[in-house]
Amino acid sequence: MGLMDRLPGSGSAPTSGGIFGQGGPTFLTSKIDAIVNWGRLNSLWPMPFGTACCAIEMMASAASNYDIARFGMERMSFSPRQADVLICAGRVPYKLAPVLRRIWDQMPQPKWCISMGACASSGGVFDVYSMVQGIDTIVPVDVYIPGCPPRPEGLIYGLMMIQEKIRQESLSKHFEHRSEDPLLVAQPNANEQEIVGLTGPFGNSTRQERLSSGAVPRGETRRNPIYD
Amino acid sequence: MTEETMSAFDGIDEGPLPSDAARASAPRFPASQSADPTIVALGERFGERILGQRVSAGDQHVVWIDSGAILEVMTWLKEDARQAFDMMSDVTGIDYGQGRPVEVVYQMYSTRHKHALRVRCPLDTDPLEIDSVAVLWRSANWLEREVYDMFGVAFRGHPDLRRILMPIDYAEGHPLRKDFPLRGRFSRAEQTRRALNQDVDRFYSEEILAQGREAQEAARPEIGTRGANEGEV
Amino acid sequence: MARKTVEIPVGRNPEMGVDGRPVASPLQPFDIPEPEFGTERMLINIGPQHPATHGVLRLVCELDGETVTSVIPDIGYLHSSFEKLGEYRTWNQIVTLTDRMDYLAPLIYNCAYVMSVEKLMGIEVTERCKVVRVILMEMDRIFGHLLWLGTTAIDVGAFTPFLYAFQERENIYQLHEKLTGARITTSATRVGGMMADLPEGWTEQLRTFLRKFPDTLAEIDRLLTRNQIHIGRTQGVGAISAEDAINYGFTGPNLRATGVDYDVRKDRPYYDYETYDFEIPIGRHGDCYDRYLCRMEEMRQSVRILHQALDRLPGGPINVDDPSISLPSKTDAMSDMESMIHHFKLITEGIPAPEGDCYYAVEGSKGELGMYVVAEEGGTKPVRWRIRPPSFVNLSVIPKLAEGHMVADLIMINASLDIVLGEIDR
Repeated sequence: MGLMDRLPGSGSAPTSGGIFGQGGPTFLTSKIDAIVNWGRLNSLWPMPFGTACCAIEMMASAASNYDIARFGMERMSFSPRQADVLICAGRVPYKLAPVLRRIWDQMPQPKWCISMGACASSGGVFDVYSMVQGIDTIVPVDVYIPGCPPRPEGLIYGLMMIQEKIRQESLSKHFEHRSEDPLLVAQPNANEQEIVGLTGPFGNSTRQERLSSGAVPRGETRRNPIYD
Repeated sequence: MTEETMSAFDGIDEGPLPSDAARASAPRFPASQSADPTIVALGERFGERILGQRVSAGDQHVVWIDSGAILEVMTWLKEDARQAFDMMSDVTGIDYGQGRPVEVVYQMYSTRHKHALRVRCPLDTDPLEIDSVAVLWRSANWLEREVYDMFGVAFRGHPDLRRILMPIDYAEGHPLRKDFPLRGRFSRAEQTRRALNQDVDRFYSEEILAQGREAQEAARPEIGTRGANEGEV
Repeated sequence: MARKTVEIPVGRNPEMGVDGRPVASPLQPFDIPEPEFGTERMLINIGPQHPATHGVLRLVCELDGETVTSVIPDIGYLHSSFEKLGEYRTWNQIVTLTDRMDYLAPLIYNCAYVMSVEKLMGIEVTERCKVVRVILMEMDRIFGHLLWLGTTAIDVGAFTPFLYAFQERENIYQLHEKLTGARITTSATRVGGMMADLPEGWTEQLRTFLRKFPDTLAEIDRLLTRNQIHIGRTQGVGAISAEDAINYGFTGPNLRATGVDYDVRKDRPYYDYETYDFEIPIGRHGDCYDRYLCRMEEMRQSVRILHQALDRLPGGPINVDDPSISLPSKTDAMSDMESMIHHFKLITEGIPAPEGDCYYAVEGSKGELGMYVVAEEGGTKPVRWRIRPPSFVNLSVIPKLAEGHMVADLIMINASLDIVLGEIDR
C-alpha cells in the first residue's frame, strides 16, 4: 500500500516493469557522491588551451581515430565559463601566463587542470628567459601528462586519471577543496622560494622531488646557489 | 657525495655553454672579388661604400655595406632595372659578442631576374642605429621590429618601432645579444610576478592605433589593391 | 616552367549562382537605406586564446559596427627563443628544436635546417638521401595542407572536412612513427644524412596512402569547392594584388594565388627538383578562394612528385661515408678504436664548421622557409641561427587584407593565410 503502489512498475499492468524486472521497483539507491561524480566525470567539457605541438595531438585525440567523444568530451568548450577541465597543451611563455591565469580564474568550480606535455609540466626543452617552467607555478595542476608530445593514448590516459580523481571526490569536502580565495585571483600558484628553485642545476617543476643524493629533506627549503 | 663528485657539478648552474667565442682570425670584411654582376655594379656605383665582399658557401654572394649608405644602396637595388630586387626576404641581426660590431643582414631576392643577394651592415655600437628600409619593402616592417626587439638596433624612420615578440615593457634587455644570459636577467620568481601583473589592455591606446592607421594610410596611395567589387569575373 | 592557372568555372559575381543564373533575392542590399547615426568605433580583442586564431595570436580590432577599420596583430605569445637556444646546441642537437617550430610539417623544417648546415660545410649528401628527403618534404607538405584544410573548413562552418582530413593525416602519422618513432616531433634528419634509413614496408605503406588519398581529396573538394556558402565566404575576401604581395614579402600559396609564379622549387631548385615533372598552381584574384584552390592543387601535385620520387628511389647508403660527420655504425664503434673515437668526438663535441654563413631557402608548406646559419671557424655550435619564417611575413599583411571587411571575413582571411604560431614566434 501507499508509496509502493503508486510507483510505476509496481502494478501488474503489461507496460509496467522496472529495473529489476516485471513488478519490481524502478528506483535504486546510491550515494550522492557516486552519482554526482559519475555525472561529472562522464561529461567533462574540456577547455583546450592549446598552444603548440601538443595542441595538434589534442586535436588528433578529438578526431575520429582516437575520439575522446567516447568519454563525453567532444564538446570542446572554448568559453571558460562553461568548461570543466583546462587542458593546457603546449609551452606557455611569460607573455601568455596572465592569459592562462585569467582563463583559469574565469572557470567556475568544480574545475580540474591537466598539464599536457613536457613544456607545460616543467618547461620542457625550453629552459629559457621567456618560458614558464611549469604551469603549476601559475595554476594548480591535477594531472601531468609527460611526453613531447604525448600520444593521444597518453592524453586519454591522463583524462582517465582525472576521472579517477573525480570518482574519489566527496561533496562533504566541497567547501574545503573547491572554494577559491578571491584574493588569489591572478596570483602565482607557487611561492617565491619554489619558483626561484626552478633555476638551479636540477631545477624542475615545483611538485617534483629530487631523487639524487644530496636531495633536500622534505620540509626544508633548498639553498639556491645563484640567489642565496 | 664526495668532494670530487661535488666539484664535477661546478659551473653546472650556468647551463649549457654558448657557441665558441669570436676569434679574431677571420677577416671581418673579406676582400675576395665576387663576379656576381650585382656586386660588380654596386662596386662601380658605390665604390667607397662597399666594405667587403665574398662568395659564401659555394655560390652565395655577400656584400658588406657601410651603414650610413644603406638607404641609398637599397633604393638603387630596388629601383634599378637590372637589379630589381623586389622582395626583401629577411632582415636579421648578428651579434658576435666580444666587442665585435653588431651586423644587420638583409636577404634580398629579385623575382624578375631570379637572383638573390645578401647585404651585411656592421653598426657602430653607440648609437646602435640604422636607417629603416620599411618604406621600400613592407615586409621589412615586422622584420626590423624583430631585430629591434632581439638586438636593440633602432631603425630610423621606421613607422612603428615597438617590441614584437617580447612584451612591450620587457625590462630585461635584448635577448639575442651575446651578453644576455639564456635564462634571462631576473629570477624566475620576478619574471613570474611581472608576467602575472601585466595589463595587456593598456598597450592598445588610441595613440598606438593611430600610429598603425597612419602607417597603413601612408602605404595606400602608391600601391593599388584589387578590390572585391571591381567586377573581375 | 610548367605553370597551371587554377580556374574553376564558377560565377564570381556574388549574386550569380553556380550555374550562371542570377540568384533572386527579395531585397537587394542597395535597396535598404543606410541609417544615419553617429557611431563610435569599438575596440575588441580576439585571442590569444581563441579557437579561430589557429594558435596563440591576438588580434586587436577596431570596429565600426561589424566592419573592421583596422586590425593590429599581437604576436609573441609562443616565443620560445629557438634562435638563442640554437646558439647553445651543437649542429645535430638543433634538429630536435626544428620540429617544434612548425609542428604541422616538421620534416620540412628538419630537412631545411640540415640542408643549410650541409651547404655551409660543403657536404654533399648521397643520392638516396636526396630522394628520401624529397619524399619526406612532399609528404609533409600534404600533411600541413591537410591540417590547414580541416581547420579552415571549421572556420567556415564545415565540420566534416576536418574529420576527413585528420583521418588522412593519421596515415601520415603512422608513416612518421614507423620512420622515426614519433608522430609529430620527428627529428628525422642529421647533418650528412638521416637518423635512420626507411624501414621495410615503409614505401609500400606510402604507396597505399597515395592510392587512397586522391579519393578523399576529391570528396573534400566536392564538399567545398562549389559550395555556395564556402564561395560566398571566400570569394572576393582578402584580395591582394601581385605587386603588393611581393612588396609585403608574401610567399608560398598566398603569393601564387595572386598570379606570381614564384616557387622556390622551380626558381632556386634543390635536390633535383628540376628533374621532377610537376606544375605549380597559380591563381588570379589573390583572394581566399584562390588560396584554397592553390593549396588543393598543390596537394595533388605533391602526390605526383611523390610517385616519381618513389619510382626513382635508389639504393645505397643513406648517410655520408665520412666518419667525422656521420656516426659510425654501432658494431664498428664497439669493435674498432678509430670508430669509437669518432663516435665519441661527434657526440661530445660535434662537427666543426668552416667560417662563413649560409642562407638556404626551401619551399615550405607555408612559403619560402629560409635557414640562415653563421659559423665561426671550427665552431661546433652556430654563432647565429636564424629562421626566416614564412608565416611571420605572411601575417604582417593581415592589417591590409582585412581592412574594410567584416569580422567574420577577418577570421576567414586569417585562416586562409595558413599561419603557424610556432614558427611566427619561434
